[in-house]
Amino acid sequence: MLRSLSRLFASLALVTALAAPALAGAPTETLSVSIDKIIALLADPAYKNPDTRPAMRAKLLTSIDAVFDMKELSRRALGAQWNNFSPEQQQRFVTAFGQLLQNTYLDKIESYTDEKVQYLKEQDLGPGKAEVDTKVVGKGKEIPISYRLSDRNGWKVYDVVIEGVSLVQNYRTQFGQILVNESPDALIAKIAAKKS
Amino acid sequence: MGQAAGNATERIAGEQHMPISMPRNILLVLLAATLAAAPVCQAAGTPINQESPKPAVSAPAALETGTASQAKADDDGYAETAPAPVADPLYRWNKFWFGFNHLFFSGFMRPLAKGYAIVVPRFVRTGLTNAYQNFIFPIRFVNALLQLNFTKAQREFGRFMINSTIGVGGLMDVAKADPNLQPGNEDFGQTLGSWGIGDGFYIVWPFLGPSSARDTVGLAGDAVANPLFWIFGPWAVYGDDNPWYLSYIVKAGDVFNNLPTTLETYDSVTKPAVDPYSAIKDAYIQYRRNAVSQ
Repeated sequence: MLRSLSRLFASLALVTALAAPALAGAPTETLSVSIDKIIALLADPAYKNPDTRPAMRAKLLTSIDAVFDMKELSRRALGAQWNNFSPEQQQRFVTAFGQLLQNTYLDKIESYTDEKVQYLKEQDLGPGKAEVDTKVVGKGKEIPISYRLSDRNGWKVYDVVIEGVSLVQNYRTQFGQILVNESPDALIAKIAAKKS
Repeated sequence: MGQAAGNATERIAGEQHMPISMPRNILLVLLAATLAAAPVCQAAGTPINQESPKPAVSAPAALETGTASQAKADDDGYAETAPAPVADPLYRWNKFWFGFNHLFFSGFMRPLAKGYAIVVPRFVRTGLTNAYQNFIFPIRFVNALLQLNFTKAQREFGRFMINSTIGVGGLMDVAKADPNLQPGNEDFGQTLGSWGIGDGFYIVWPFLGPSSARDTVGLAGDAVANPLFWIFGPWAVYGDDNPWYLSYIVKAGDVFNNLPTTLETYDSVTKPAVDPYSAIKDAYIQYRRNAVSQ
């Protein structure tokens, strides 16, 4: 009896041990590889050097572009309004919005010092979608950041949720408010005019 | 006959005791009133919820669910990140006070906060925040109980005991080192939310900033659960000389002490925004809905 029980526990432990890596699935894997790459670039002394900085920044932007699905992010930030934009307007919107995000968040990313990223859990958000919950731990500060990814020829981020506040939804509220009185072109102009 | 006389004297004695025990009774009545206020607030919250969809942008029915679940899959593909927007019937009032608060805090107070952050080192500011948070532990504790969340209540109690003693009166948050004793933030607004009451509508208060109909009721509840209310309350539990405004001075002091951090958070929402008013409104509502769901 005792032996069979212990065997049961042993096999259970084995199953759990084998199942654990499966919990951290492809979305977490893709995300952590990208984040590690970005952190490695930022930690590189060449980033601090004014001569090599532009080249390093170009590399950083390429790495960020590779993991963010800017078109999907833009589509969701407009919500149902996306369909009221002509394909040409959609194109300009994606470019302007991407530039706005880059202007505002590059400084924050570049202010990286020695924060550590912890991967907490991965949730299924339906077919081809997942949420990866992380925690950024810095000097006496912990910020919960969740990434929402969708699988379109590889997992890409379409929303970032900081302290429970979704970036995409926040912009959707703003754009929705502006589009009540203004045209898509006016909105695009407003986004493009915003510096930092 | 003799028995009747005995009864009468007893009654008189009882009546004589009455005035002496009065203050204690008042305390009990107030405590009962606080607890009784909860269902009243619930009753008050419900009609607000039913009226509010009128000016809402869309999907008013979803307002009643309160804890808008994000996992609701939909055909259009972006529904999972689209909970119901909050109603904003007081748009003009809100916009005015948003502008006022922006001028006051981001304009007038910012240099003072900056100077304060330079003069007073971070560990002192954190210490003051810790001490005040430890002092108002009853707010979080009572609300954890009202939510029937005994794990959280236990955690708050444990944190209070440890930080009040080893943490030198709460100046140091030593309990935080234990992963099971992480700081919480329960308040009465969240309690009402956990009872199924939605945001109601969005409202911006002068100086206090963004809030909702439900969270405004919550603020009143928190004020009552705050020990300051009992120490400096208008009825003066401990003698009549306590100036009532002292509690406001302590609260304002806490707000000012935290202002450098608050402005940082404010900037992180408004700087990347195309429409700062909507950005703050949405960030507040999202943050609160998330807090209620946890």
